[in-house]
Amino acid sequence: MNVPMTIPDEALARRILAAVPYKDRFPAGRLRPPVGILPGTVRSLHELHLLLTPDDRSLPGVNLSALADWVEKAVGDGELARKLRTDTANAASYVEGCLKTYELVGARLVQARTAVGGEESS
Amino acid sequence: MALYGYAGKILHLDLTGQKSDAIDTEKYRRWGGGHGMGSALFWDFCKDKSITDGRHPANVCCVMTSPLNGTVVPSAGGRCEVVGVGVGQYPVSWFTRSNFGGRFSTMLKYAGWDGILITGKAPKAIWVDIRNGKVVFRDASGLWGKGTWATQQEIWRLIGAEPGTRNDWQDLRDLKGGSDRDEGKTTQKPAVLTIGPAGENLTGHGSLIHDAGNGAGQGGFGAVWGSKNLKAISVLGTGGIKVADPQALIRARRTVKEKYVTNWEKPDFRAWTRLGGLPKPIVQVAPPTPDRRPQSCQGCINGCRERYSVGYGNESACQETSWYGPFVRKVAKSRAEDTEINLRCADIVQKYGFNSFVLQTGLHWLEHLHEEGVLGKGKKIPSDLPWEKIGTVEFGEKLIVALSTRKDIGADLADGWVQAALKWGREKDLRTGALQFSYWGCPEHGYDPRAELEWGYGSIMGDRDTNTHCFNQIFTTISAAFAFGMTIRIEAEEMVRLHVRKMAPYAQDRPEVLDFSDANMYSEAVAQLVRWQQHYCRFWKQSALFCDLKWPDFYNTNMPNLEGATGSPDAGEQVFWNAVTGDRISLIDGIELGRRIWNLDNAIWVLQGRHRDMVHFAPYLYETKYEKGELFPFYMWPCRDEKGVWKYTDLMGRKLDKAGFEKWKTVFYRLEGWDPASGWPTRQTLEKMDMSFVADELQKAGRLGGGTS
Repeated sequence: MNVPMTIPDEALARRILAAVPYKDRFPAGRLRPPVGILPGTVRSLHELHLLLTPDDRSLPGVNLSALADWVEKAVGDGELARKLRTDTANAASYVEGCLKTYELVGARLVQARTAVGGEESS
Repeated sequence: MALYGYAGKILHLDLTGQKSDAIDTEKYRRWGGGHGMGSALFWDFCKDKSITDGRHPANVCCVMTSPLNGTVVPSAGGRCEVVGVGVGQYPVSWFTRSNFGGRFSTMLKYAGWDGILITGKAPKAIWVDIRNGKVVFRDASGLWGKGTWATQQEIWRLIGAEPGTRNDWQDLRDLKGGSDRDEGKTTQKPAVLTIGPAGENLTGHGSLIHDAGNGAGQGGFGAVWGSKNLKAISVLGTGGIKVADPQALIRARRTVKEKYVTNWEKPDFRAWTRLGGLPKPIVQVAPPTPDRRPQSCQGCINGCRERYSVGYGNESACQETSWYGPFVRKVAKSRAEDTEINLRCADIVQKYGFNSFVLQTGLHWLEHLHEEGVLGKGKKIPSDLPWEKIGTVEFGEKLIVALSTRKDIGADLADGWVQAALKWGREKDLRTGALQFSYWGCPEHGYDPRAELEWGYGSIMGDRDTNTHCFNQIFTTISAAFAFGMTIRIEAEEMVRLHVRKMAPYAQDRPEVLDFSDANMYSEAVAQLVRWQQHYCRFWKQSALFCDLKWPDFYNTNMPNLEGATGSPDAGEQVFWNAVTGDRISLIDGIELGRRIWNLDNAIWVLQGRHRDMVHFAPYLYETKYEKGELFPFYMWPCRDEKGVWKYTDLMGRKLDKAGFEKWKTVFYRLEGWDPASGWPTRQTLEKMDMSFVADELQKAGRLGGGTS
């Protein structure tokens, strides 16, 4: 998918690939019938991407409105945050919003990995 | 006279004397089976019903079947109920229950037994070898310390059962320890129910495990067995079950298939129904391989577990496949790795006989304590576990080992998580919700009591996390439809109508019982809903042993009129019961029997010390709001608005009001015929149910409720 976001510089790329401190974690649950809503948090975009990976057995639980703020303030990626705000606001349903987020975050991670020469930050 | 559906005898294992004897099932027939019979046996055989710790030698544990076990009743043939005083709850471990599937209950029936009553304590570790009517107590010193899978394999070896699936007959006379008097042939391996290290070490996390992934987790029955030095029970049966009306049974089973279940040739993959959905595993991660096949309890039409060619994760399903999920995400590089770690850690909890449900909310609390600098190496709560590796298999295994063997933080958590929180000076975590153990020291299930009232109220008025999904599918179905922006196939008003049509005797055609709006959440109507659920479940699910995930079937989009199978004249629960047993009961008769069983349970709780003043949720449910949209975007449920119009409404964003809930309790007690001042049953109520013997014992203990109902 062609996502019109500029390639991050190395410093931003490392932030995109890094985990935020525990105090900056973002609440993220998962509805898994019949178990219920499982609590959880994410501390990195990679973790968020895994959470949002579609499957036919469960649904991710994230506050999409608050997520963009977290990406901007905790992760420090303003451009991705702006894109998330625009694209999820236009989503026809919550699940579509999650799918758009999944695609955008996935594309951003690819950009960041490329920017650091394929190495993972931690 | 033939006792259709029943084997006719209950096996009493006196562990102290290492003797066994048979109890005539007929004596307990009035209680139906399963939980009802188990409660009645507990009542008769437990010499001290004031005990509040299941590890007490006076505790009695019953492993019970139902008349439907071993038959073709859809999703009712293979469940097994366990009752007794539990371990690890707070403030009291109540007389409680658990339930598991597989083939243990059916094998027990085929061996000629309707259940097992376990009393006393063996002087040393033993296992029990049951082959039809022959019962032998055997030395378990060579099994003690082994995991649940190794124990089962070793027992099969000791008995001489060949590994793998047989394609010819095994003569019982040819087995090790067999004799000329052992008649019968089978293609099956013995069904073994066993404990692992978590039970041996008497931790509240101890489960009973059967085959690879069937477990009775809640209640800590693994610790109950461990305290009795009982490692395992193996059973091999070669008999059968007499069915009163086989034609009626097959006719009803065919009706389910042809009428209520999604048409296999034109499948509706998104059918709204419990009984009628297509077979579907409830494994909570993506499959590790396409080379897999379904696995189910005997007689089930679903198949909620799987086996894989990769050799791990086999037969684990539901919560044990997701207990570690939020942490695995922190380390997994891909979805495939995420699946593998989760399934390998599912195997670990099965092998240790560990109830992973405590970790669903509990591990977040431990992580919180670690990240806050309270728990860890050299910290106030010392722990040498490698917390920096949380999410890995290595950490998962070390955690389970510690919690199963009372090492590290496991020493404090073994006797209960709320107890540990208080010992560690973390009372505030029960107020903030950092520790979400909602009712009786049990972890919040995933259906928050501030939103889903019948789940929370049912749990706190009972003895544990209720884990009964009778109405819960409303939330999951409707919320998923909203999440996807899909067509709502049944609107709110119709949804409640379809439910209450079948909710006699307390709530028939009273749609308001399902209205969970703020204005109705402490009402008499909601009390009737909770009563219906508790009474229905005590008999139909926990005594007749219909599977919780398939029954009741209130609504069903496979049917033109949308009505589900529950209570229907052609395939309702009572049709199957009557076909097997020869009884002529109605759905309501079963609910009434459930009420009696519920009352017997309540009488035991009262003798254990229960009083209404103890019946409270964890403080966070009163003091903090269910954060709106934080862990899922909405919690949809049918509610009436101020004009009385039914709408699916989001229930997030509220907390419970303590005074409101106290008023609700009074209403509930009155409806049950219990003294609202104490929650104790009255003589009048008990006598109306032909339970004077219960009133007499309560009176003797000075715990009979006063006043009239």
